[in-house]
Amino acid sequence: MESLDPRVNRLNLSTTELTSKAPLDQLGTYEVFSQLKEDKPYFHVGPVHAPNCEMAFLFAKEQFSRRQTCTGLFVVETRNIKVSVFTEGEDTVYNYISNPGELANGNTESFELFHLKKRGKQHEYIGTIEASSAEVALSMVKSEFINDKPVYNIWIIKTSDIESSQDEDKIIWDTLPDKKFRDAIAYKAADKIKEFKERQ
Amino acid sequence: MYGGGNTFEHIKSNGLENEDPEKLAQFEARIERGEKIEPNDWMPQLYRKQLIRMIEQHAHSEIIGALPEGTWITRAPGFKRKLALMAKVQDEVGHAQLLYSAAETLGKSREQMIDDLINGKSKYSNIFNYPAFTWADSCFISWLVDAGAIVNQLANARGSYGPYCRALDRICAEESFHLKYGHHCVIHMATGTEKQREMMQAAINRWWPPMMHFFGPSDKISVHSEILMRWKVKMGSNDDMRNQFLDMYVPKIWELGFTIPDENLRKNEVTGRWEYTEPDWEEFKRVINGDGPCNKERLAVRRTAEERGRWVREALLAPKTEYVAPLA
Amino acid sequence: MTNTEALKELIYKMADDQLILGHRNSEWTGFGPLLEEDIAFSSMAQDKVGQSYALYQILNDLGEGDPDTVAFMRNADQFHNSQLVELPNGEYDFSLVRHFLFDTAEAIRFQMLTNCSHEPLAQLANKIKGELRYHTMHADIWIKQLGRATEESVSKLQDSLDRLIPYAIGVFEPSPMEDQIIEDKIFEGEGKLRQQWEEAILVVKSKTPLNLPYFSLVKPV
Repeated sequence: MESLDPRVNRLNLSTTELTSKAPLDQLGTYEVFSQLKEDKPYFHVGPVHAPNCEMAFLFAKEQFSRRQTCTGLFVVETRNIKVSVFTEGEDTVYNYISNPGELANGNTESFELFHLKKRGKQHEYIGTIEASSAEVALSMVKSEFINDKPVYNIWIIKTSDIESSQDEDKIIWDTLPDKKFRDAIAYKAADKIKEFKERQ
Repeated sequence: MYGGGNTFEHIKSNGLENEDPEKLAQFEARIERGEKIEPNDWMPQLYRKQLIRMIEQHAHSEIIGALPEGTWITRAPGFKRKLALMAKVQDEVGHAQLLYSAAETLGKSREQMIDDLINGKSKYSNIFNYPAFTWADSCFISWLVDAGAIVNQLANARGSYGPYCRALDRICAEESFHLKYGHHCVIHMATGTEKQREMMQAAINRWWPPMMHFFGPSDKISVHSEILMRWKVKMGSNDDMRNQFLDMYVPKIWELGFTIPDENLRKNEVTGRWEYTEPDWEEFKRVINGDGPCNKERLAVRRTAEERGRWVREALLAPKTEYVAPLA
Repeated sequence: MTNTEALKELIYKMADDQLILGHRNSEWTGFGPLLEEDIAFSSMAQDKVGQSYALYQILNDLGEGDPDTVAFMRNADQFHNSQLVELPNGEYDFSLVRHFLFDTAEAIRFQMLTNCSHEPLAQLANKIKGELRYHTMHADIWIKQLGRATEESVSKLQDSLDRLIPYAIGVFEPSPMEDQIIEDKIFEGEGKLRQQWEEAILVVKSKTPLNLPYFSLVKPV
């Protein structure tokens, strides 16, 4: 069959009948977080599929930061995110977090904490905590980061599980503001319509 | 880009009698309050199933929707149009990625969904089975098909499922670029030479019938599902969406001096609704069932892309990672 | 004073290479091996076309025609590009290896051009550093990944490398006005670029079992 698209004609289209494409080659899942400006918190933007953190970062950069501004991006494997229960209304999730008893027992490492402050919105970065486990970290949050507003869900991630953009790599977003062709603002045409109507 | 022509499974028995009545009541109350349902929340099986179906069809429509306009990537006139069209078609692929991800949170893997697309099990928006003969066709698609999609997507963004709504918020923001870019292209054609005006008018004539089909069968003949409306899965009737589109865009087409190939098309000032010749629903059915001008090519392209990319994906399979459903 | 003809010759070559490769790479939009890569590869094709646009604008300021006319209305024999960038896309390994070979050279070329005596070119070189950083990051990670994954992926990459290396070296064909270009401090020259490119290619290659020919024995195309 001859396509109108020269690209398709160069593809050597498969002429086989409709069949399944076994085996299923589904890659791992990573969650992506981005920061729009230096003083803004990181927030969750969505997932990508990739074989490792390095490639997840490559993919995330163009899928989630090819417009507007970006000052930082990181990825973490989905299964490395610990998720709390969900609550609703005035019920904060911290009502369900118990004190694990023993707080510091020797070795600690750092954990990154994310809150869901409104159902339907994205998880947002709150702070970093040094603790001996995710559970201990959670119990410590209670006193450090909580105000009166309810929190509906918590994500907690070991800092070492994160692949993050480095300061020297931030130039990869340098030309974003110049890519006007990706924005509605570059296509103003009201004057042309007005002029056209006047000519009629 | 997506229309309301999605095919919901005919709900014979809704299976609700097997659901826990207390949980069901809480679930419905949450939706009633205008709160979002998140992946970890309890939900009825029917809700999960119909959402997967709808989001999956939407995702397929994006990935297939990249093809008609992609026809003109290599021949877009000049740097500005070329860059914009590349970015626009790229966005469609990006939208597919976002939507597949939202559907994955409900428990179906992306590979399974793509498999169901290329083995013919699941559908995508009918309009992409039509060819883009000239540059003017690609202008029509960028402006008006995307305009139609925005009408639907803005409605769906007020739906009840959190991950789908978030994907749509992102998508709608990008669609505003598509819409403005497309309009800009059409205005350029409209204010250009006689030849350019003729090309544009011919494209409008070609695309009008599929554009009317885009919102799905008339409410008179389509399967109503009150329960999907109540659960905020389906956010508006096909006719309402079509009417909203006509109301917003017919005047904009007319103001450029173009005609629309339907002599019965007019707004009834009393009812506030648009009147038009009933679209040919037999053709709609024929095309959606595989007999359109480009169905074979579209699926063959997708299948070829999958086959040619298979060794790449196999080389990326890593024992240290594991597929899991995305979190949100 | 800069020799404008020599400067224009260099910019034409660079702009034509980028335009044509950007055009070739854009053919993958919608057909990529996985969705995320489809998006990434398309962005880089857009960068390439955008960079060529900027170069044609510099040419325009030097008295050449309007960028759209120059880029899209010339005849085939008026182009200054290397053959590497014209070759049809083939399979993904071919496009990826070409992207790796070309963009590695490109990144070094623009790095060198940050010292260019023609200020607008030096400015452009500084401005697009970040884009090129992403391109080489992308290329290196992919070559490392596929270059040591499965038997099939390694052999595909090797075949494409074998086929493309002579064309890639063809990119470094000296300009007829090379001496002038170097003397006027426009650019340090294709020879120096090629040397640095060979080193950079070897660094990435060393992380895989892939083989490269002795560059000095390769006959450029």
